[in-house]
This record gives sequence, C-alpha cells and structure tokens, in this order.
Amino acid sequence: MKGKVLKRLVRWISESWMMFAFFACFFLLWEWSIDWFEVPQYILNKPSEIITNSAADLPRLMQYTYITGLETVLGFVVAICLAIPIGVAITFSNILRRTLYPFLVSVEMVPKIAFAPLFISWLGFGLLPKVIIVFLVCFFPIVLNAILAFGSLSQELDRFSQITGASQIKIFLKIRIPSALPQCFVGIKYAAINATVGAAIAEFIGSDQGLGFYIQIVTGNMRPDLAFAGIFLLTLLGLGLFGIVTFVERLMIPWHISQRRG
Amino acid sequence: MNTTIQIQGVSKSFETDEGPLVAFGPADLDIKQGEFVSLLGPSGCGKSTLLMMLAGLEEPSSGKIFLNQTPVQSPRNDIGVMFQESTLVPWRTVLGNIELQLELRGKRPENFREQIDSLLNSVSMKGMEKRMPHELSGGMQQRAALCQALIHQPQTLLLDEPLGKLDAMTRENIRGDLQRLWLDKKPTVVMVTHSIEEAVQMSTRVYLISPRPGKIDKVVDIEMDYPRNLAVKQNPRFIQYLADIHSVFHGYGVL
Repeated sequence: MKGKVLKRLVRWISESWMMFAFFACFFLLWEWSIDWFEVPQYILNKPSEIITNSAADLPRLMQYTYITGLETVLGFVVAICLAIPIGVAITFSNILRRTLYPFLVSVEMVPKIAFAPLFISWLGFGLLPKVIIVFLVCFFPIVLNAILAFGSLSQELDRFSQITGASQIKIFLKIRIPSALPQCFVGIKYAAINATVGAAIAEFIGSDQGLGFYIQIVTGNMRPDLAFAGIFLLTLLGLGLFGIVTFVERLMIPWHISQRRG
Repeated sequence: MNTTIQIQGVSKSFETDEGPLVAFGPADLDIKQGEFVSLLGPSGCGKSTLLMMLAGLEEPSSGKIFLNQTPVQSPRNDIGVMFQESTLVPWRTVLGNIELQLELRGKRPENFREQIDSLLNSVSMKGMEKRMPHELSGGMQQRAALCQALIHQPQTLLLDEPLGKLDAMTRENIRGDLQRLWLDKKPTVVMVTHSIEEAVQMSTRVYLISPRPGKIDKVVDIEMDYPRNLAVKQNPRFIQYLADIHSVFHGYGVL
C-alpha cells in the first residue's frame, strides 16, 4: 500500500516537475524584473511583497473571501437546483419546448452581466443582487446542457426500455438520469468556472464588501499588491468550486469515459 | 405447432417530396412456435424495420401483425429483443445490466440468481459478472447483451443483426452459444442478418428479402439436423443451400 502511494508520487513528480519549474521561473522573473526595470510600487509589486503585505490585511481578506464565496456558492447551487428540473421539463413537454426553450436560447445571447447594474438598483447593495447575478451566469449553461443531456438518449436504450413495459418514472430513474449525467456535468463545470466572474463583477458595480469590492478599492488606493491578493483569492474560490464539482462528478459517474484513468 | 407470429399484408412507407416511398412490403408470413427464422437480405431492404414492427416499436403503414394471437399495436413486453447497437448501460456491471432487464420489468433479481448463473455459464461469461461493459471485448459485450435479452425467459426472441459488428471467429463462437440456448429452451426466434452462412447455419427457415422495396420473395426451409456446428459447413447440403441462396441474390444484382 505504502509502496503504491510512493510510486504514484514519484510518477506524478516525474510527469509534472516541468510545470512546477515553469511556474517557479515565472515568479522569479517577475520578482527580479521589478528591480531591473525599476517598476514603481503603485504600478506593480514583487510576488514576495504581495505575500507579506497581504498577510497584514489577512482578516479583512478572509472575511471578504467568505462573503464572495457565499454569493458564488448560493447562486451556483440555486442555478443547479432550478436549471436541471427546468431542463427536464423542457425536454419532455412539447409546449415548453416551443415556448420557454426558444425564449431561453434568445436570453442566452444577452450578456447576463449587463443586467448587474439594474439588479443593484432594484435590490440594493446586499447579498441578493449578487446571488441573482451569479445565478444568471450559471443558469444558462446548465439548463442548455441539461436539455441536450435528457434529449439525447440513444434509440436503442429508448427502445430497450419501451420493450420492458416499465413505467416512465422507472425508465427516468434507471435509464434517463444516469445516461444524462455526463452531459449535465459539462454544463455544471462550465458554470462553476464562470460563477466567480459573476460575483466579482456584481461587487465591482455596487457593493460595500467582498473580494470584487476589495480589488476595486485597493486599486483606487494605488495598492496593486493587495489587488493581486484579492485576485489570487478569487482564483482559489473558482478552483475550489471547480474542484468540488469534479470530485462529485468522479463519485457520480466513475464509469464515464471522461473519468477513466490511463 | 401453434402460430406465434402472423404478418398480414404489412408494408412500411415513408413520406418523401415525391410522394410516399415504399421501403418494405407488402409481406405476409406465419412463424410457428419454436421456429428459428432468419430474415436475410442486403442492407437497406427493410428487414430491421420489419423486426421493429414485430416488436411494436414501429408502426406498419398498412397491414396487421399478430403476436401470440393478439394484435401488435404498441411496444410488446412479452418478447426479448437484441438490438443492433448494444443496450448495455455503461454505468452498470455485466450482472447489473442483466438485472436491469428484470428491474425494469418489476421482477426481483434475487429470485433469478440461478437463471443468471446458468445463462452466464452457457455463454462462457462465468466470473465476468463484476466487469464493466467497457472492460469487455466486443464479443463479450454481445454475449452479455444476449444474457440481458434472455433473462426474463421470453417465448419470442427478436435479434437484429446481433453479431453484425463482430469478427468472423467471434461470430462463429457466439452462433454456437445462441444455437445451444435456442435448442435448450426452444423459444421462437426471428433473426435479421445479412450473412447467408449465418442464416443457413442457424435457421429452420430463411426468408429471402429483395432490395428496395424489400419484399419476401423466397422462403427456404433448411432441412438439416441440429446441432449445426462447424462441421456442418462441409456438408454438401449446406453448401447447396448456400449456392441456391447466392444465386437468388445474384439475380437481384446485389451479389
């Protein structure tokens, strides 16, 4: 067992050391060029300065990370909870497919972020408008992929289910849901990547807390070091969300071709 | 013997810009209980369509089909079907896939342990229960699919080119398995194939279907004893059947 873990670790290092070396070079080059080119502090800082300076502001950064994270997760989860059932309903209802579906497709063309100022003006500076904007960003990829997912059961499986005489509900649970999951996850992962974008932009437009707000304020105060700290934490939030989705995907569809190793 | 399947004046046509196009039929045929019948014809002749109409999965444009004395009007659940493409679901093991058939039919898989075991045994799949479909070769997948199609012990079995995608050696092997299973339980089998050899080796009767529009225009009764294994292919009668059928298709211009 131990040997196996060690073996895997060695393999992982031998496969990815170049990537780490590249990252290291990138940050070293950044660190040195600030001195070489005498870049002023209010334009850009060294990575080492970013770390030490932002450590001083850690409590505030943590609090804002929590707030932005909350907005992101809430909007994302609500989007999943609404988009999947709506996608299913559109797949199986002729009326919805002729009414709601084309409507959603046209709304998809609208840049959702453009609604952000409106929502802020309608609902104020609080949590709700941000959650709604994250929701809007996440909802469309999930619903459109869900429609694709539930609408593309193979003819053979469809016929196979019909021949068994099983009820539609049983077929739905045992055949349609599992075969739709991989495509649903495509939408959910896409949404996870974009969720933090929605939250950050919503905070840029109107907020008194959160990482987006922080980045805007510190940039105004000529503190690019702190702005980078905010950007870094936003990235971590996005990565974390994506990581959780990928983990859940691996648990739910370990059989799918996208999940098979080597 | 009772007649299990009656096909009366069945045809299938499709709407095109130049009016309806007859793809198959009209055709009449009676299939008796326990027969192994092949529908043999070139691709596109409508033989699969006929099979799907038999199953109630496609509606004939005209004519009537009776299965076990009742008209076929909707998908029938008193049959077993093996489709051209695999119906093994990728998220279940071989065993899980066989159980799926039972679960969908509202039967308890626990009560079918013995049947599952003996079916798997008869197609040399013992010990493969826990494998996922993607871990199996094409031939193994079709064997598992055969078990899936048979586990509810249907009296009528429809096979839509079940071995179409396999290599020659594997085909030969699974033909043997299939024949053994048929001889054992004697269900009525209707098999669609484009292999003359396969049709002659397996069937009690072969229906030859002409190219578009597909029409049954010859029926060949294969009068040879079972089991028909590899040795049967040296039999002069077998060779004569092949030659006769060959010449019919040659006449159509498809060979």
